[in-house]
Amino acid sequence: MSDALGAVELSAPSARSAVGGAGRRILRSPLLLIGALGITLIGTAALFAPVIAPYDPSAQNLANILAPPIWAGGNTEHLLGTDVLGRDVASRLLFGARNSLFIAFSAMLLGSSLGLATGLLAGFFGGKVDSVLMRLGDVQLAFPFILLAIAILGVVANRGALLLVVVLGIPGWIIYARVVRSRVLAEKEKDYVAAATALGAGPWRRLFRYVFPSVWQVVPVIALLDVGFLIIMESTLSFLGLGLPPPAATWGGILADGRRNMVVSAWLPILPGLAIMITVLSINLLGDGLASVFDTRHVRGGFRRLRPTTPAPAVDSDGERLLAVRGLHVEFPLPGGTLKAVRGIDFDLAGGETLGVVGESGSGKSVTAAAVIQLLDPPGRVSAGSVVFDGDDLARIGDRRMAALRGRQVAMIFQNPAASLNPVLTIGFQLREAIRHVTDADRGTVADVARRALQMVGIADPERISRQYPFQLSGGMNQRVMIAMTLAARPRLLIADEPTTALDTTTQAQILSRLVELTERDDISLLLITHDIALVSEYADTMLVLYAGEVCEYGPVRRVIASPHHPYTRALLQSVPRVENAAERLEAIPGELPDPRQDRVGCPFAARCPEVMDVCRDVVPPRFDIGPGHLAACHLWAPQPVEAVTS
Amino acid sequence: MTTPLLEVRHLSKEFTVRSVGKKQGSTIRAVEDVSFDIAPGETLGLVGESGCGKSTLGRTVLRLLEPTSGEVVFDGAVVGADDTSLLRRRAQIVFQDPYSSLPPRMRVGRILAEPLLIHHVVPRSEIGERVGSLLSAVGLSVDLARSFPHQLSGGQRQRVSIARALAVEPSLIVADEAVSALDVSVQAQILNLLKDLQAERGLAYLFISHDLGVVRYMSHRVAVMYLGRIVEMGAAPELAIRPLHPYTVGLLSAVPKISAEGVTVRIDIESPNHSDIVGGCAFAPRCPMAQPVCATDRPDLAEWEPGRWAACHFASQVPERLGQPIATSGGPR
Amino acid sequence: MRGRVLLIRLGQMVLVVLAVVTIAFFVLRIATGDPARLVNPPGTPEDIIAQTRERIGTDKPVAVQYFEYLWNAAQGDLGTSFRGAQPVASAVFGALPNTLALAGITVVVSATLAVALGAVAAWRPSGLLDRLILGWVAIAQATPAFWLAVLLVLVFSLNLRWFPAIDMGGWRSFVLPVTTLVVTLSPVLIRTARQSFIETLREDYIKAARARGLPSWRVFTVHGVKAASLPLVTLIGLQLGFLLAGAVVVEAIFNWPGIGKLILDSLASRDFPMIQGGILVAAVVFVVLNFVVDMLYAVLDPRVGAAQA
Repeated sequence: MSDALGAVELSAPSARSAVGGAGRRILRSPLLLIGALGITLIGTAALFAPVIAPYDPSAQNLANILAPPIWAGGNTEHLLGTDVLGRDVASRLLFGARNSLFIAFSAMLLGSSLGLATGLLAGFFGGKVDSVLMRLGDVQLAFPFILLAIAILGVVANRGALLLVVVLGIPGWIIYARVVRSRVLAEKEKDYVAAATALGAGPWRRLFRYVFPSVWQVVPVIALLDVGFLIIMESTLSFLGLGLPPPAATWGGILADGRRNMVVSAWLPILPGLAIMITVLSINLLGDGLASVFDTRHVRGGFRRLRPTTPAPAVDSDGERLLAVRGLHVEFPLPGGTLKAVRGIDFDLAGGETLGVVGESGSGKSVTAAAVIQLLDPPGRVSAGSVVFDGDDLARIGDRRMAALRGRQVAMIFQNPAASLNPVLTIGFQLREAIRHVTDADRGTVADVARRALQMVGIADPERISRQYPFQLSGGMNQRVMIAMTLAARPRLLIADEPTTALDTTTQAQILSRLVELTERDDISLLLITHDIALVSEYADTMLVLYAGEVCEYGPVRRVIASPHHPYTRALLQSVPRVENAAERLEAIPGELPDPRQDRVGCPFAARCPEVMDVCRDVVPPRFDIGPGHLAACHLWAPQPVEAVTS
Repeated sequence: MTTPLLEVRHLSKEFTVRSVGKKQGSTIRAVEDVSFDIAPGETLGLVGESGCGKSTLGRTVLRLLEPTSGEVVFDGAVVGADDTSLLRRRAQIVFQDPYSSLPPRMRVGRILAEPLLIHHVVPRSEIGERVGSLLSAVGLSVDLARSFPHQLSGGQRQRVSIARALAVEPSLIVADEAVSALDVSVQAQILNLLKDLQAERGLAYLFISHDLGVVRYMSHRVAVMYLGRIVEMGAAPELAIRPLHPYTVGLLSAVPKISAEGVTVRIDIESPNHSDIVGGCAFAPRCPMAQPVCATDRPDLAEWEPGRWAACHFASQVPERLGQPIATSGGPR
Repeated sequence: MRGRVLLIRLGQMVLVVLAVVTIAFFVLRIATGDPARLVNPPGTPEDIIAQTRERIGTDKPVAVQYFEYLWNAAQGDLGTSFRGAQPVASAVFGALPNTLALAGITVVVSATLAVALGAVAAWRPSGLLDRLILGWVAIAQATPAFWLAVLLVLVFSLNLRWFPAIDMGGWRSFVLPVTTLVVTLSPVLIRTARQSFIETLREDYIKAARARGLPSWRVFTVHGVKAASLPLVTLIGLQLGFLLAGAVVVEAIFNWPGIGKLILDSLASRDFPMIQGGILVAAVVFVVLNFVVDMLYAVLDPRVGAAQA
C-alpha cells in the first residue's frame, strides 16, 4: 500500500468509520451469517437432543433393521431410517452431535486456556521459562502427538469423555501459545508499554492492562477453527473405534457401523459424514468471517489497471514538453466511501527539467506519481483527466503499451529502497534482468552494462555488490542500486517518490546530488516527490505545491521560494525549523487536513488559512498568473483585488 | 551555576546480539561513556544519525533500559537499580510514533488517568477533573477523553502523549524524536506547545532528534552523537554556526537549506558503521581531516572554549566548511 | 551451514526422539498396567501370567526395562512382537516405505496444487476463480478424511469399479488413498499460498519490478513465486504430523500395509513392542523430515541462509 494512501486511510475520519463498521461488516457478510446460523441450529439441537430426539438412541429393534430414510422409501416413523441394530438414525445423529460438540468444545477450552496462559507468560517475561516452554512446543510439533494419543486410547481400559478431552485438548495448547506469544512479543516492544514503564506501572499491570487487551482477540478466531478440527479428530477416533465406547452414539461410530453395511444401504455412512461436514463448515465460515471482520486491511491485489471512462481533456501541442498532466483526478473507492486523493492537478514537465512536487501527507503527491506511471494501488483509478507523455495519454493507452513504456521511457524509484528490491534474488540478478529487458544485448554486454551502471552511482566494487542480497546492504546502498537499475535503461522521465526520506541526512545529500547530476548529464526529466521543501529548493527547477489533492502554487523554484504567493506555501516555508538561522517562534498552521472523502466547496485551505476571506469558503479559487510561469490558486491574487495583501 | 536537575556520569549501554548457531553473541556498544548535565528548565538537544545510540541513551537515562555501567543522578540523588520511584514521578518520556505510543484499546481519559492512579497524584474523585485540565493544557478538547487513540490524528495523539507525560507533574521530559513522524505544519504546532509548556512549568527537556533544524529551534545546548559517543557539545547557536568537530561540520553541510540560491557546498560523509570502532577516533575512517594520531589515540571530550566541548584532536583547526585550509593550532583549555 | 550448528541440531533431534520414546514408554505402562495381563484373556490363572511376564521380560523393574529397551533400540533391536516371534524392527521397516510413498506423493501433489491454485486465486482476489477456489477449500477443510475415503470406495470401487478398494498393488491402488490425503492436506496449503501470493504481490519490490517494465507474467513468476512459496515450506513441515494422522485412517480403510495400520493392528492385539517400535520409527522419520524442511528453507531464503552461515 502506498505511503500516501496509507496516511490518508489512517487519518481521523476514515479510521473512525473503519472501526464503527465492524458491526455493519458482520451483517453484510452472508457467509459469516450462514455459518453463525448453522452452528446455532446444530448447537441448539445438540443441547436439546434428549428433548427433540424421537427415540432413545440405544433402543434396539431387531425387527426393523436397516430401514431406509424417508426419501428412499422409508416411513415417517424413522425419518432417517434405522441402523443394523434397528436403532433410530436421526436420534443417534442428534446424540452424536451432543457428544461430538461437547468433547470438541471442552478440549478447545482446555487447550486454549493452557495456550493463552503459557503464551502470555512466555512472551511477556521471556527468559528461561520462555525457552523451556517453546522448546517443549518444538518437540511437540516435531512429533505427531496424535499417534501417541491413538496409542494411549487404544490400550487404556476404560475410555471416557474426560480422557478424550484431555488427549485431544492438551496437544492444542501449542497453537494458541505460539500465536499469543508472538503477538505479545510484538506488542510489548511497542512504545506504549515503555511509556507505561516510565509512568511506574509494574509488570503485571503492563501485562494485563496494556498488553492483554491488544492480544486476546486472536484467541477466539483460532478457537473456532480449532473446534472444527477437534470435531473431525473426535469423529476420526470414534471411527477407528477409539472414541467413546459403545453404545454411546458418535458420528464417527455411526459411520464405521454404516461402512460395514454400505453395500446394502449406502446412506448409512453418508448421513453422519454430512453432519460432520455441515457442522465443521459452519464453524469455519464463522471463524473466517470473524477473522476478516477483525482484519480491516482491504484484500485487494492483482495487477488490474482501470482506465478513465471520461473523455480526455484537450492538450495543446508543445514540442518542448515531455509530460503534460491535465485535470488529473484519482479516486480510491473504499468500503467507507470513495477517497478522492487527487482533485484536478495540472502540470508540465519539459525534457531535462526537474519538477519538485511538495506537500504534506494527504496532499496527493505520491498518488500523482503513481498515476503518471500507471501503478496505482488497487482499487485506485484515474477517474478523470489525462497524463500525456510524448503524445500518448498514459491513462488511456493499453496495458501492453504502458508496460512497454515503463522502464524504457518512464522509470520510478521508491521511498523504501530495501523493500523495492526482491529479498530472495541477488542484486546482480535483478540488475541484469532489468538491463536484459530493455536491450537485446548478449550476456557479456549485459554484465558489462551492469558493472558500469553500479560504478556510475558511486559503487566502488560492483562485483562484490552484485553477488549480495538486498538485506546485506545499507539503505543508501540499496537506493544507489535502484538508481543504477533505472538509469541503466536510459529512461526519458524518472519519477523519484521520496527517494531519500528513509535515509540519513548525510546519505541523502550524497544520493540526491548524484541523482540530479546523472539526470542532468543524460537529459532525463525528473519528477521529484518530497515532503521536504528544502530539498525542492536545492534540486528542482520548477515546483508544484499540493494541498489535500489540489494545486496551491506552481512556478520556477527560485521565484516561488523568494516570493511565495499562496498562504499555504508561505506557511509551509515558515513552519520548517531551519538550522542556518533559527526563528524565535515557528509559524504553525492551526487545524488539520480536510476529509479526503468529502466533496468540497471553495478553497481546501480555507479552514486553516490566516488570510481567509468570505469568497474562499464558497468559490474554488482559480489559478491566477503571478509572473512568468508562476501560478497561485488563491483569491488574494484575483485581478480585481478584494484587498491588497503584502507578503 | 545552579545545581543540575540531571547528571549523567560515564553512562554505557551494551547489547549482545545473538545470532543463530553462535554461543557467544557479538557486543554492540550502543552508548559509550556518555556524560552530561541538564539544568532545571533547560533543553539539551541530542542529535545524530540512525544507529548513533541517541534513543538508547534517552531510554537508559530513564532506566527503561538497564545501563551496563555509569550512573544517573537525578535532583542530587543517585538513581539505583531497584529504586526508580523518584525517577518515575519526576521524569517522563514522549515517543516518536504517534500510532504505537498510546495503548490502542484504552480511551484517552483512561490513558491520562493511569499515571494519576499509579502514583495517587490526586484523590479518585478528582481524577476526571484533572484529566480535563491535562487535555486543555495541551490544547485538546475535553470531549476527546472518550475517544480511542485510533480516532485521533497524528498531531492529536502526540498531544495526548504529552498530556500523559505531564500528568505526574515531572520536571524532566525526554522527547525521543517526538515530532519526527509529523508533517511540518503539525510539527510546528507541537514544537511550539513544548516550548510553551516549558515556559509555564519550568520543564527541562532532553530533546532527541535526527533533525538539526528542529534541535536548534528547541535547544539551549546541543550534544552531537556519533557511534555511541558524544563528539561535540555546546550552546545551540554557536554549535550551528561554528562547529568544532569535523562530523558536525559534515552533518550541518548535508542538511538541505531553503534558499532561492540552489545547492550549497557540502562534503561527503559515509554512513557510520560500528565496525569502525577499533582503537582511535571512531570518526577517523571517514574524516577528511584525519591524521595518523587519529587512528591510534581516541580523543576525549574536552572543553576547548568556555562551554564548548569537542572530542577531536584538531578541534581548534576545524574550518566552518571542510575543504578549507586548516587553521593554525591551539589546544583545549 | 557450519559443522557446529549441525552438531547442535543433531543433538536436538536425538533429544526429541528420546523424549518421545520415553513418554510413549511410560505413558503406555501407566495407562495399561501389567502388559502380561493384557496379553492374556481375562481370568487367566496367575501362574500363566507369571510365565508370560517372564517370557516378555516385564518381571524386571520398569526402570530396568526402560534402559534395556533404550540400549537395544540404539543397537537397532526393537524387541520381538508379543504375538509370534517376528522382530519388531523388520516389521516396522517393512511397513515404513509404504507409508512414506503415500505421504511423499501426497505432499508433492498437494504442494503443486497449492502453488497453482493459490496463484490463480491471488491473481484477481475476490474474483470468480478466487471465490470458487476458496469455496472448494472451505468444503474440503470440513470433510473428514475417513468419510471421504468411504465415499470414494463406494463410488469408484463398488459402483464404477475403476480402482481397487483395498490393498496395495499397482498405480491404481494409489489413486484413492492419495486423493483422500490430498483433499485433507491441500486446503490449508492452498489458503496459505493464496494469502502469501496476495501479500507478496503488494510488496514494493513487485511494484518496482513493474515500474521497470517487466511483463506481468515475469513479475509473477520470477519475483512472486519464489518469495510467496517460502511460507509453504514451513507449513508443510508443521503439517507432517496431521498428514500422518490422516495416513493412519487411510491405511486402516484401504488396508494399506503401512506404519499406521501396523500400529492400529498392534493396538487391537495389545502388542506393546510393536506399538513402541512404530512410534519410535515415526518419531525418527519426523525429526529427520523437519530437519530437511529447515534446510530447504535456508537454501530458498538467503536471509535465513546467511543467519546460519
